[in-house]
Amino acid sequence: MLDSSPISVVEALRGDRSKRPLIDSASASGLRSLLEDGIFEIIGAQKLDSPLVVRTSTLHQRFATTDLAQSTSGRIRGVLIGQLLRLMSVGMSIDHAFDDAVTAWRAEVGSGELIEQLDALDGDDRARLATDIEAHCVTLTRALGEIPARWMPRSGVRATQRLAGGNVVLRDVVDLMIGTPTSDVASIALFDVTTSPLGEGAERSMRYHALMQTLRTSVMPLRTCTFSSATGEIWIRDVDYELLARSVDDVLTSVRDQWSIR
Amino acid sequence: MTLLHRRLTKSDLNELLDQSPAEPVQLCDAHRASLSTRFRAVGVPGHRRLDAWSVERAGRSGSAFRWSPSTARRVLGNASLRRMATHSVSVRDAVRDELGDQMLRAASGYARSGSLSHWLASAPHPVIGLVTAEAVNWVTQLQEIATWIEAPWAVPTSDAYYDVATARTTLRARRDLVVHNDESRTIVRVRSGAPGKSAGPGLRADLTIESLADHDGVAPVRYIGLWPEAGVCLSVDGTMSDLRSGARDLVRTAVAQRRRGTLLAA
Repeated sequence: MLDSSPISVVEALRGDRSKRPLIDSASASGLRSLLEDGIFEIIGAQKLDSPLVVRTSTLHQRFATTDLAQSTSGRIRGVLIGQLLRLMSVGMSIDHAFDDAVTAWRAEVGSGELIEQLDALDGDDRARLATDIEAHCVTLTRALGEIPARWMPRSGVRATQRLAGGNVVLRDVVDLMIGTPTSDVASIALFDVTTSPLGEGAERSMRYHALMQTLRTSVMPLRTCTFSSATGEIWIRDVDYELLARSVDDVLTSVRDQWSIR
Repeated sequence: MTLLHRRLTKSDLNELLDQSPAEPVQLCDAHRASLSTRFRAVGVPGHRRLDAWSVERAGRSGSAFRWSPSTARRVLGNASLRRMATHSVSVRDAVRDELGDQMLRAASGYARSGSLSHWLASAPHPVIGLVTAEAVNWVTQLQEIATWIEAPWAVPTSDAYYDVATARTTLRARRDLVVHNDESRTIVRVRSGAPGKSAGPGLRADLTIESLADHDGVAPVRYIGLWPEAGVCLSVDGTMSDLRSGARDLVRTAVAQRRRGTLLAA
């Protein structure tokens, strides 16, 4: 695990090819069973009218706590930095970080609650947000460097898993993914960017991304990492069964919390 | 109904392809005439377009279509993968070349208003970046799946369309890969999200439309739907009973659409 950004985050994520383990395609079914058994112990056999939904945001904080990253401005900042990362992943030059990010976001979602809140900002707040986004973008650009096309980068990669007959739905979006699941050796690296300083929640997110990728493709990824564009910190973890089993515990805790207040 | 559910892995996908029924069934003129009669009985004032999505939504209309990075990705992505099959280029370069061709079409006056080329030509720089990112995701995913397939495959140049004679109805079947095996073919279709309860009827509708769109009415031996975000695949076989069910679902959807139209008018 690193506390400061290496020269190139992508290089660090890829690492030395000769030292990569063979792909693990056997663990996914065991993890799925752990989840199914755990959920059955919590909910039982009844069929829910609406499913319990688990996302990275539901893993971050327990109930009755405040997460600044989930504030309106924090969410807008996160979305805009996510858009910029998507543009960087295909080698697009970014001239005006804030304007480019907003233009890309509008093209994708059209309209929505968050965009309305962005439009409702007064001139000063908008200027402050624009300056903030420029600063985060500079930090991200410096750390990320150029992403070669041969590493097959894709951004905003979604995953959905229905468990317990649809009673629980796990949803995830990985900001950036490189490598391929068709290789003989583990090759997938997951990159998550947050505009908040790294904390316990970020570690849970890293594990969750790895778990979801394992459940989706039935192949364990090589590494998972999270980068803070606020501080330039980066945490990188090799994925192993123990890390994924901890994420299963995180998911079950979230399900238990949500179930207890129903 | 011959619905099969599997994990989306290399071995499961190839097993679904290998174990497809050997003999394809064929629709004849009587089948086409019968379908036409049924659709004519469900008249509509304008022209009607039906596809698997409208079957899955039981004829409910969604929000109006608009071009966006996510609605453009499949057209651009499939064209880029076709390009990669003949030219040795990276995914990113193939997508950029395809985008370039689309915009050239608009610049040279060959694109009609409302087309993808027209929209791309007027899109600002960051939007083109996001379109590229979405298309790269699509191609990378489809290329991974295609790499797994052990039989010869091809990316079709378009979806399958069938105009129902004298019923002012156009049917469209989504298809992303055609896998050839001796004299038969299997169709692979990729969708985002996770399959819902109506995913099976949607697949059967695509199977029926694909068979009708074939000049000789030959059905694919199997229609495979992939949901990579959920890591699952479903398939239906090209049997006569599945084709009939698919046709019934399409007619039912037309009836449901007309009822909703009548209710709105009232």
